[in-house]
Amino acid sequence: MIRFWNRRFRTGILTENPEFDKEMQTIRKEMKDLVKKRFAGSLAIRMVDSGSCNACEAECNALSNPYYDLERLGIYFVASPRHADVMLLSGVMTFNMTPHVLDAYKQMPEPKWVISLGACPVMEAPFEQTFAIKGPATAHLPIAYHIPGCPPEPIEIIRGLLAFLKGI
Amino acid sequence: MRLIARYAKECEAHFEIITVWDTKIEKESVPKHDPRIKTLTKQHPAAIWFERKMHDDYGIIIEDAFDNRPLVHQEYFPSAIHPMQKAFQAKSITPSDYKPYKYETIGGDGVFEVAVGPIHAGIIEPGHFQFSQAGEDILHQEVRHFYKYRAIEKMLEGKTLQAAKPIIERISGNESIAYQIAWRDIVLQATRSELPEQSRKYHALLLELERMIHHLTDLGFIPNDAGFGAALAFASKLSEEARRQLQRLTGHRFGFGAIDFESHTMQTEVWLHYLETLEEELALFEAWIIDIPSLWDRFDTTGILKAKKAKKYDTVGIIARASGLTLDRRDEPFYQTHGFVLQTESSGDVAARYKMRLKEARNTLTMLRNFTVETSEAITLHTLQDGEYFSFVESAIGELFMSVEIKDGVIERFFVRDPSFVNWQALHLMMPDNIIADFPLINKSCDLSYAGNDL
Repeated sequence: MIRFWNRRFRTGILTENPEFDKEMQTIRKEMKDLVKKRFAGSLAIRMVDSGSCNACEAECNALSNPYYDLERLGIYFVASPRHADVMLLSGVMTFNMTPHVLDAYKQMPEPKWVISLGACPVMEAPFEQTFAIKGPATAHLPIAYHIPGCPPEPIEIIRGLLAFLKGI
Repeated sequence: MRLIARYAKECEAHFEIITVWDTKIEKESVPKHDPRIKTLTKQHPAAIWFERKMHDDYGIIIEDAFDNRPLVHQEYFPSAIHPMQKAFQAKSITPSDYKPYKYETIGGDGVFEVAVGPIHAGIIEPGHFQFSQAGEDILHQEVRHFYKYRAIEKMLEGKTLQAAKPIIERISGNESIAYQIAWRDIVLQATRSELPEQSRKYHALLLELERMIHHLTDLGFIPNDAGFGAALAFASKLSEEARRQLQRLTGHRFGFGAIDFESHTMQTEVWLHYLETLEEELALFEAWIIDIPSLWDRFDTTGILKAKKAKKYDTVGIIARASGLTLDRRDEPFYQTHGFVLQTESSGDVAARYKMRLKEARNTLTMLRNFTVETSEAITLHTLQDGEYFSFVESAIGELFMSVEIKDGVIERFFVRDPSFVNWQALHLMMPDNIIADFPLINKSCDLSYAGNDL
């Protein structure tokens, strides 16, 4: 254990790593202010996967690693749609999943927004229309903002969330 | 004999049922007007999903099956449609009336059911688990998937191998390189081409790096599900760094588009330096995590899969090896000369699967060093020849099987069996004698793919 703490103190805070440029700092500051103003300090996101390849989920999980640490900006992922302000939708809308996605959306309290994540929900991924895919998410849900990428990198997701916050 | 896959294919006048065993491939023809086959489930319980899928896809009747419920087609799916038949070409279907799905449950006084999913509490893929509970104790669990069913097999029909690649590499994001290597082997077979040693090493390096990322992520998430968050912070740092290396090498954090027949150069100095730091960090992580008794209290004897059961259910990959089976597609001369050593554990519990990941991460590190090459060579492929081709790859989860039939230069039938497809069917065996609160831990210790399973 002593070796662990030794390493812990030697490593310091990774999020200050020089490879993260100034822009990240500004984003952080701006975002903190916006989250504070519009959502009383915290923005709750419910991530819903309606048929992705799991890369978008892996990138959202990466948002909580020490390099990005999204939660310190007051943005966090919640376990229930009833606790959420925003639904983050990834993956193509599959025939089997669509009723459940709509259910989850219904369960969210007003005011609520949907952000689509990655190329799949807007049908820009290589996946083609088949009988098992129910077209772009815009046909089923009011999409407030789209974060492009296949998958979007964690830094792009943070930037996207910031742009969304600026827009509402 | 180990069952690898069982699937159907439509020919002119009949359906062909192909059963892939570890030692041979069996083919059986059934007439289209009355397609009936006998089930294999008595000897190989894991055949049931293959057979139920066959019924959904082609309408083939499994005569003596104990389970006739639809697998892929869920509550709103029109029952008369068998979409893998060549005659079915519709691009959309109208939802039918709601047909309830009858879950496997256990009855009795005070026994109740817990339904979990398809949307889970966390950043995870969708799937459903139905538990029969006696208080906190799990009596039985049924895994129900295919919420992410995108009809990839149908989508790829009529495409060339090149056009199919962007879709194949996105079937399961965490196993993208493995899928691409399975695709590569099929292209090489179909064009009668040989891959030079250097390129083979480069591709194997990328596959091992993908495995490393997968294992590092799990080394963090498994303790996290036992309430030990510090491990997640440590391991997610390591996996992020490994992912950045993959991005540096391939230009993509998941390696989409990484496997091709072009020439690539590596900056070996930066790479070898990275491996050195990783080795040091991994050793520190291991020495630290192995010495936390309260964590191993949760891991030991939780979610046991006995070797006998693991064999009976034809499991593959980490799960099979943690139960003592010596199954690994890398157990061949090419990998062995580059440092591969087959790793196994015997206890089959969460602890065994965790230790497997630690051991394999260490072994993968050795191979990452040995696979380092300055440049890989570009090759020109010969002309494509029609035929039926099979390939096997050991992905981070387990053995991946892909089969492609090419007719007139395009894909006639595409079939892939993700390791998760068989392993999911063994998950319920780990549940009895455990409490429901340990389910997330057991599930995470297996870390199976939903996307690769559902297709």
